[in-house]
Amino acid sequence: MASLDSVSLAILLGAILVMAGILSSLLALRFGAPLLLVFLFIGMLAGDSGPGGLTFSDVQNTYLVGSAALALILFDGGLKTRFQSIRTVLAPSMVLATLGVLLTALVTAPVAKYALDLNWTEALLIGAVVASTDAAAVFLLVHAQGLRLRPRVGATLEAESGTNDPFAVFLTLMLVELISVGDSSIWHVVLEFLRESMLGGIVGVIGGRLVVVALNRVALPQGLHAPFVTTAALVIFGVAQISHASGFLAVYLAGIIIGNRPTRAHNSVVTFLDAATWLAQIVMFVLLGLLVSPYRLLDSVVPAVVVALVLMLVARPLAVFLCLAPFPFNWREKLFIAWTGLRGAVAIFLASIPMLVGLSKAYLYFDVAFVVVIISLLLQGWTLAPAARLLHVALPRADRGPRRVELDLPGQLEQQLVGYAVRPMSLFLRRGLIPSWSKPTLVIRNEKILTPAEADPITAGDYLYLLAPPEKAEALDRFFVDMQPMASPDPHLLGDFLVSGEITLGDIAQIYGISVDPTAGQLTLADYFDVHLDHAPKEGAVLPLDTIVLVARNISEGRVNAVGLRLPEDEEKLPPLTRMGAFRQKAAKAWSSVAGT
Amino acid sequence: MMITDLVAPEAIIPALKVNSKKQALQELAARAAELTGQNDRAIFEVLLRREKLGTTAVGYGVAIPHGKLQKLDKIFGLFARLDRPIDFEAMDGQPVDLVFLLLAPEGAGADHLKALARIARLLRDQDIANKLRASRDAQAIYSVLALPPATVP
Repeated sequence: MASLDSVSLAILLGAILVMAGILSSLLALRFGAPLLLVFLFIGMLAGDSGPGGLTFSDVQNTYLVGSAALALILFDGGLKTRFQSIRTVLAPSMVLATLGVLLTALVTAPVAKYALDLNWTEALLIGAVVASTDAAAVFLLVHAQGLRLRPRVGATLEAESGTNDPFAVFLTLMLVELISVGDSSIWHVVLEFLRESMLGGIVGVIGGRLVVVALNRVALPQGLHAPFVTTAALVIFGVAQISHASGFLAVYLAGIIIGNRPTRAHNSVVTFLDAATWLAQIVMFVLLGLLVSPYRLLDSVVPAVVVALVLMLVARPLAVFLCLAPFPFNWREKLFIAWTGLRGAVAIFLASIPMLVGLSKAYLYFDVAFVVVIISLLLQGWTLAPAARLLHVALPRADRGPRRVELDLPGQLEQQLVGYAVRPMSLFLRRGLIPSWSKPTLVIRNEKILTPAEADPITAGDYLYLLAPPEKAEALDRFFVDMQPMASPDPHLLGDFLVSGEITLGDIAQIYGISVDPTAGQLTLADYFDVHLDHAPKEGAVLPLDTIVLVARNISEGRVNAVGLRLPEDEEKLPPLTRMGAFRQKAAKAWSSVAGT
Repeated sequence: MMITDLVAPEAIIPALKVNSKKQALQELAARAAELTGQNDRAIFEVLLRREKLGTTAVGYGVAIPHGKLQKLDKIFGLFARLDRPIDFEAMDGQPVDLVFLLLAPEGAGADHLKALARIARLLRDQDIANKLRASRDAQAIYSVLALPPATVP
C-alpha cells in the first residue's frame, strides 16, 4: 500500500505545484513580472534547497515532459500564425533562425571558453544551448503585456522564434554527439542538418494536411476535435523524431498548415490548445525549477552572468544586425528585434540533454543556461514594453476592436456565426450598414432570442449574431465599433478612390499608368505602408507613390486594409478666400500643429 | 481642363434603366463601344478588372468606373443618370444613380489621372450632383457639366 500512497502523494504534490503556478499568475500580472519566471521560482521554492524540500533529479522525465510541452507550444504558435502576415517576413526570419542562431552561438562561445574554462567544443555547446530565442517566451510575454507590435516586427519575431528552436536543438544534439563520441566532419554535420530539416519539413507538411483532411472528413463526436488535433500534433512530432527528422520543425509547420485552412471546429481547437499550452508552460517551468539546485548554481553564477550579458548585449545584436542588413528594417526595429531575443524554457531544456547523455560537465551547462534564462527574462522580459514604446514599434492601444464572438457551425465550413454587442454609436446602428456577404441571423434582447424580423428595429444594447465567412469576420468589426464623432474631413484629403489594402503596387501601376520600382510590384499596399512608414500607420497617414498619394483609410490589427488614392490635379483652382474662410484655415492649421496630427 | 472636353453631348444617357452593378457596367460598355468603335467585351473586362481592386463608387451616390484601353486614341468619357439607384458596393452604402465612365488610351498617363481627379471632385459637389439628378434630358445634363469650373467651390 505504501507504493500506492506515494503515487497519490506525487499526484497531490504535482497538482498543488501546478495550481500554485496558475494562481501566481495573478500576482505576476499585478506586478508585471515575467510570468514564466514566476513559474520557475515556484519550482525552485518547492525544490530541495527551497522550503518545499522536494528532491527531484529525474532528468529522463523532465526531458520527456519538456519535449512534449515544447512540441505543443510550437504547434500552438504555428496554429495562431496567419500565413498572410508572415509571408512578407519569411526571408528575414529564416535567415535569423539559421544564420542568426549560428552567429550568436559562435560569438558567445569564446566568452564561454574563457569565463568557464572550457575547451572549444564545450564552449560552442554553451553557445548553442543559449542561442535560440524562445518561442513560448516571445509569444507569451509579447501578448501577456498587452503589447501590440508593428505587424512586420511582431511577425518576424514570432516566425523566427518558431523556427529557430529546431535549429538550436539540432546544433546542440550535434555538439553533444561530438563531445561524447568524438570526431565528426563538417560535411557530415551540414548533410545531417539538411536531412533533418528537409525530412522534418516534409513530415510536418504532410502531417498537417492529413490532419486537415481527417478533421473535415471524419465525423468525430462533438468535443473530440480539439483533443484529436492535439494528439495528432504529438504523433507528428513523434513520427518525425523517430525518423531522425526535426520534430519541432514538423509540428510548427503542421500548426501553420492546420491554422491556415478552413477546418471544422477551428475555434474550439484554438481554445483547447490555448489551455493546453498554458498547462505545458507551467508544468515545464515548474519541473525545470525543481531540477535546479540554487546552491550549486552559486559556483558558476559569475561566469554565467558574463555569458548572459555578452549574449544579450553583443552576440544577439551583432547577429540580428548582420542577418537583417539586406532587408528593409530601420535601426530601431533591428534594435528591438535584438533586444527581444528572449531566452526561455528551450535553453534549459536543451541544457538537460547533456545531463541525459551523461556528459562530464553536464551540470555546468545546465546551470549556465538557467542563469542566462533568468537574466534574460528579468532584464529583457521586464523592459519589453518600454523598449517597444521607446523604439516606436508598439502600436497605439486605442484601436482595439470590439469584442467579437465566433461560433463554428457544424456541417459546413464556409460560414460561422459572429456575434457583437450593438453599440449606440456604431456604423451599423447609425447608418444601418452591413456588408452584403454577412447575414443577420438572430438577435438577443433581454435574454430572449429573436429573429431579426421580430427584433426590428435593433437597438443599442442588443446582441446581434451574423453569418459570415470566417476569414472575413474581422472586417465586420468596423461596423460595430463606436464611431469617433468627427467633423467630416475634406474628401479630397481622403483620396478620390478607395481600394483594398491587399492589392499590389503592380495592379495600381498597371491601371493608372504610374511607374513603380519593378522589385516592389508584388508588394501589397498594406505591406508598402508597413515598409515605408517609419511609425505605426494611423488613419489618414499618407505615402506618395509616383504622382499619386496613398492615404490609409482603415486600419485593423496594425495593417492598412483600405487605401484612398489621391490623384494629382494640376490646375488646383481654389476659390478666393473669404475672410472667415481664411481665419478658419489658419485656426485649423494652428490646431493641427498643436495636436500634432 | 473642362469636363466637356472629356464627354461629348451624344455620350450622355439621361435615364439608364439597369438593375445591378454588373448590368450597369455592361450597358455602359456597350454604349461606349458604339461611340468609340471598340469592342464592348474588352471595355467591360477592363472595367471589371478595376472594380476587383475596390469599388469605383466614391460615395454620395456617385460612381466613376474607369480603365485603360489599348486601342483608344483619346480619353473618352460617358455620363449616365440612372433611372433607379442601384447598389454599387459603395463604402458609405449609398445606392448609386450618377455614373461617369472614363476610358483612357494606354499612354495617357498623367492626363488620365487628372481627368479622373477632375471628375471625382466635380461630382462630389452636392449642388452639381443635385442639379444633375434634377435634369431630365441630355441637353440639360450637358449644360450642368459645362458649367465653368470657377463656379465650383
